[in-house]
Amino acid sequence: MSENVNKYIKRKVYKKTSSRIAQKFVDAGLQEIRACINCGTCTGSCPSGRRTAYRTRSAIRRALTGDESVLKDIDIWLCSTCYYCYERCPRNIPVTDMIIKLRNIAVEEGYILDSHFVLANNIFYATGHGVPATGENNKKWRDLRESYGLPPLPPTVHSYPEAVKECQELMKAVGFKKLMDNAAKLKEERAKAEKKDKEE
Amino acid sequence: MTEAKKELEKVKKEIVVTGNEKPQVGVYVCDCGINIAGVVSVPDLVKYAETLPDVAVAREYKFFCSDTGQNIIKEDIQSGLINRVVVAACSPRMHEPTFRLVCKEAGLNQFLFEQANIREHSTWVHMKDPEGAFEAAKDLIKMSVAKARELKPLEVKTVSIEPACLIIGGGIAGMNSALDLATEGYKVYLVERTPTIGGHMAQLDKTFPTMDCSACILTPRMVDVARNENIELLTYSEVVEVTGYVGNFEATIMKKPHYVDQEACTGCGVCVDYCPVVTGNEFDLGLATRKAIYIPFPQAVPGKYTIDMDNCIKCGICAREDVCEPDAIRYDEEPEYMKVKVGTIIIATGWDLYDPTGLKQYGYGRYPNVIDGLQMERLLSSTGPLDGKPTRPSDLKAPHSIAFLQCVGSRNFREGGNQYCSRVCCMYATKQARQYKEKHPDADVYIFYMDVRAFGKGYEEFYESAGKNYGINYIRGRIAEVSEGEDHSIIIRAEDTLLQEPMELKVDMFVLSCGLESRSDAGEVASLVRVQRSSDGFFMEAHPKLRPVDTLTEGIFIAGVAQGPKDIPDSVAQAKGAASSAATLMAKGEVEMEPFFAVVRPDRCIGCGMCVENCTYGAIELIDDRHFGKIASINQALCKGCGACSGNCRCSAIDIFGFTGEQIFSIIMGGEL
Repeated sequence: MSENVNKYIKRKVYKKTSSRIAQKFVDAGLQEIRACINCGTCTGSCPSGRRTAYRTRSAIRRALTGDESVLKDIDIWLCSTCYYCYERCPRNIPVTDMIIKLRNIAVEEGYILDSHFVLANNIFYATGHGVPATGENNKKWRDLRESYGLPPLPPTVHSYPEAVKECQELMKAVGFKKLMDNAAKLKEERAKAEKKDKEE
Repeated sequence: MTEAKKELEKVKKEIVVTGNEKPQVGVYVCDCGINIAGVVSVPDLVKYAETLPDVAVAREYKFFCSDTGQNIIKEDIQSGLINRVVVAACSPRMHEPTFRLVCKEAGLNQFLFEQANIREHSTWVHMKDPEGAFEAAKDLIKMSVAKARELKPLEVKTVSIEPACLIIGGGIAGMNSALDLATEGYKVYLVERTPTIGGHMAQLDKTFPTMDCSACILTPRMVDVARNENIELLTYSEVVEVTGYVGNFEATIMKKPHYVDQEACTGCGVCVDYCPVVTGNEFDLGLATRKAIYIPFPQAVPGKYTIDMDNCIKCGICAREDVCEPDAIRYDEEPEYMKVKVGTIIIATGWDLYDPTGLKQYGYGRYPNVIDGLQMERLLSSTGPLDGKPTRPSDLKAPHSIAFLQCVGSRNFREGGNQYCSRVCCMYATKQARQYKEKHPDADVYIFYMDVRAFGKGYEEFYESAGKNYGINYIRGRIAEVSEGEDHSIIIRAEDTLLQEPMELKVDMFVLSCGLESRSDAGEVASLVRVQRSSDGFFMEAHPKLRPVDTLTEGIFIAGVAQGPKDIPDSVAQAKGAASSAATLMAKGEVEMEPFFAVVRPDRCIGCGMCVENCTYGAIELIDDRHFGKIASINQALCKGCGACSGNCRCSAIDIFGFTGEQIFSIIMGGEL
């Protein structure tokens, strides 16, 4: 079908949404979030939610209705992206994508777990590895490699330290570094404000 | 006759057009509120129209379909200003009849009218491109004026209507339509595919919200249908071909062989005791068995036996003299075909239950204690396989806890699901839950729902008392998945969305409240009778609000769930509506046909006979004319105006009235012929 014809057949999407978070979903083309009828299939299907306090439907509902506390809720990081909810949603909402988008928004606004931040900002940025093979803790892996006659470090940026710079350039180019710096700044500001609140 | 009427008659006579005088076209450009005027400048269109050849007057008005708008056109006709009318407005689908009537009332032949669709074909589709829309509207008006100049007066053709109706489907809807029409004195052919009438309603135990016994209110109607002398009941039959048009349909009906002489069979049932073949019973949805020679259920109408040849082993026992005393068994029976002539057709083919096998997470077909709503109905029925005792399939013991899941297959936007709400499931599950409580008061009954839609008369009260008086637990949440526990129990996982917590529940039996679907062969029926279906698969009504029982094919009506999911009272109401619409048409005795049929120009025809071969309707034959020799001749009663002959005529000797060569070419050339 020609694009011209398609333009008329495609139903108009009214983008304005009352909740600030939901607006970010709609602007990113994920207006499906507004089709949710709160049937609970996602929560009922969730293997993570069976063991933790993560509630898929509630997280999406809070995003949709503008409950901003959902961004700092650590439960949204407990989704294992198994895609059960995605496969069963009767409204055909890509639920897992919604949770991932929710996490993206949280990080943009500086809500990132300390462990994630350290991993992403410090370790990944500095070494080019999520799980670096250098350091005291990983000595046994290096020994293991050697026992098989391999060089102790794999042929990655570990073996080519000059490539770390290239990795960092890449991360800057895609905006990763900026995202992390912004998150760090927002985190710090919030910590200061909290401290001030406490003192008062 | 009053003075005014006399005056009108005089005026009428003065403006009669023969078609030979110089055309004077009146162009009426409609604002259609803002539908047209909001996109293009109507005054500019009027100015443009005035420049076209033979245009005597061009006018603008807000709504030409209104009384005032119509009068503007009438006055112009009656004052002798114009003798051709072009209305540039909406689609002719709705208002062509309106404006034809305007011409007729003003005394002008109604076929001297032409409509330019500048709404659907211009301002609606090009609303984001006003300049382009303006150019398109100009062209459309130019083409219509060009055609209008070539229009000739025509006379409408009337055909008589056969006072008989063919009803396809013998469920509660088809039966009600049949009884109404038969009582009004029309001949009715009621065609039913299975060996008995009654449809799905016969399978139900009770009906909500009054808890009437379904069979008790249905079977008297079935008997009425069988006894009515105006109704020719054709069970175990199928319509295989429909030809013709409104008022004069001809249907071919195949009577499938029963292999039992239906006249001779007394319905004594001795054969059943002797038949050695045991097979699944469709009526009880596989929960019980039947023999190869059977009647679907005890109250079946007609109560005569049928042999299921797919399973019969032709052992010959039932044909033995000591088994079948009336000697009714006919192993060599062949299908019979009969042709009937009817004026109208009502489609009441009903529905199929959604098959939940595809929804693997619910375990239907895998776990014995997961059943669908219709199977539950049979289990609860006192005429069912277990006489309505509380039982579950795995061990035939009474389940102490039952869970129902709503919206199975319905309100599901995934592939394989139905997007619509099936309307009846909320109430049938509530009814079954209450019935189960009555039979087993200690049982725990749960209904998992997304919304409860208790929309009908008495339904909300019925739902309220299900909670208050029966203690049925309604849990808001759609079940995510089930697994089987010990002793074939069912473990349910869901979220209680009102508590916002996931839950696990073990029940003894699990019922899927499946939705209603269009018949799996609805597409074949649609092409057989030439009606349209909507995207959900059900037959499409002519207008969703104002013509809910008509189809876009004149003379064909729809009733019951064939049109869309509905409960019994709504099905009956629609069936009565369809019968009334059919009767309205037939009571007139004749119907007007548009005179758009083919005509031969004898001076051009060379009698080659090409058109005779091309005509699908057999409307053309070659004759010997006294003046022109061998030429084609067209039977206007048979001609449908399809144009196959005209397009293929090498001498341009055949015209279609309303679409003559001159008219079509003048449209193409925009009047510059």
